[in-house]
Amino acid sequence: MKKLTALFLVCATSLLAACGQGDDPAPQAAAPAAPQKVVVGLDDNFPPMGFRDENNQLVGFDIDMAREAARRLGMEVEFKPIDWSAKEAELNGKRVDALWNGLTITEERKKNIAFTAPYMANHQIILVAQASPVRNKADLAGRVVGAQDGSSAVDAIKKDAPVAASLKELKLFGDNVTALMDLSAGRLDAVVVDEVVGRYLASKRAGQYRVLDENFGTEDYGVGVRKDDTELLAKLDQTLSAMKQDGAAARIAQQWFGANIIK
Amino acid sequence: MDYVVSLLGPMAQGAKTTLTLFFVTFALAVPLGLLLALARISHWRLLSQLVNGYIWLMRGTPLMLQMLFIYFALPFVPVVGVRLPDFPAAVVAFTLNYAAYFAEIFRAGILSVDRGQYEGSKVLGMTYLQTLRRIVLPQMVQRVLPPMSNETITLVKDTSLIYVLALNDILRTARGIVQRDFTTTPFLVAAAFYLIMTLVLTWLFQHMEKRYAKYDQ
Repeated sequence: MKKLTALFLVCATSLLAACGQGDDPAPQAAAPAAPQKVVVGLDDNFPPMGFRDENNQLVGFDIDMAREAARRLGMEVEFKPIDWSAKEAELNGKRVDALWNGLTITEERKKNIAFTAPYMANHQIILVAQASPVRNKADLAGRVVGAQDGSSAVDAIKKDAPVAASLKELKLFGDNVTALMDLSAGRLDAVVVDEVVGRYLASKRAGQYRVLDENFGTEDYGVGVRKDDTELLAKLDQTLSAMKQDGAAARIAQQWFGANIIK
Repeated sequence: MDYVVSLLGPMAQGAKTTLTLFFVTFALAVPLGLLLALARISHWRLLSQLVNGYIWLMRGTPLMLQMLFIYFALPFVPVVGVRLPDFPAAVVAFTLNYAAYFAEIFRAGILSVDRGQYEGSKVLGMTYLQTLRRIVLPQMVQRVLPPMSNETITLVKDTSLIYVLALNDILRTARGIVQRDFTTTPFLVAAAFYLIMTLVLTWLFQHMEKRYAKYDQ
């Protein structure tokens, strides 16, 4: 019995010693070498800002922008797909550090999110079926309009109170494609959507949809961070402004949209 | 056809997520469900009532709500609050939920064994644990196979709920491709993936039923 106890003690001591050895050098080696990491939250079903290509890799305009900014800051960037309707919870629960995915700057969102300066302007466009008699916003009276739930299109429609009140119904969808499919199926008369996304999707089905001349206003895209994360906000603002000045942002925009739409 | 082939790579990655969640949940929920079932039929009233309350809670609220709670609300609960990464959060929610359903299936299986068999085992000098292991549980396994097959197939399809945590399983991957290419073909491919998985499961359970049926002859 004594032998067993002694053996146990020897084992336990050597195990502890081994643990101690393992612990010691680790923090010293890790601290200076590892660059700071930023976790970018995005809706990975939001072409052309962020989506997956044929090889299941994340690509898109905002992905390239975030990569370039992180490279300049010497930070590691990790992209984490999130459910877009839970973006505030993801950000404030510290599961992601930044929201960078065609995030529209709105007064409502400013209550929970700190925004960088705008990097791109966007319009809330109105898509209708090619043969639709709808020509302008006034024609939408008494008609059913669709938009993505939780998107700024919903805010933009509601802000235009007279038009919003004249609608028969505002139907909200999980994503923009289902809204457009409902438009094709004839259950909707129009879909309100971010211009970058709307034009991308409409181009996939050329000739089916028409963009009205009128829209639901112009808004700005910005990067969102936590309100108390002033350090990251300052760094991003600085880098974004440098990327605009030296033409890096314009180059990325040219690549994705065929035009420089950087603001 | 070339288009469908091009979808298989990403969809197979989605299938990996679906299958991992399925197998991990199944492996954890079956033993937990068995323990819960035994606690539920225990003569110790407090334990039995506690498990009864647990089953009510888990079956009485949507799995999606439980998953959202564990992922988003649990980190802010004092004392017990833990911040689980997305996939472990899903595993915990699925396991706790499915263990409750499995527990009731196992309880039905255990109760279907005639009282006389317990008395017979006692006469033969077996303890309660020996009776469970040698007499009751083997018969339970055979009787719970059809309802377990039901519940297991439901589990395969319920895994699609993890889209709320933005995890790319088969269905969410398909939805992503629908968003990108604006065509509904990926949904059909997703359906084929699910059908193949449930076909294999159906076959496995039928095979097991036949094997256990040998003892009835």
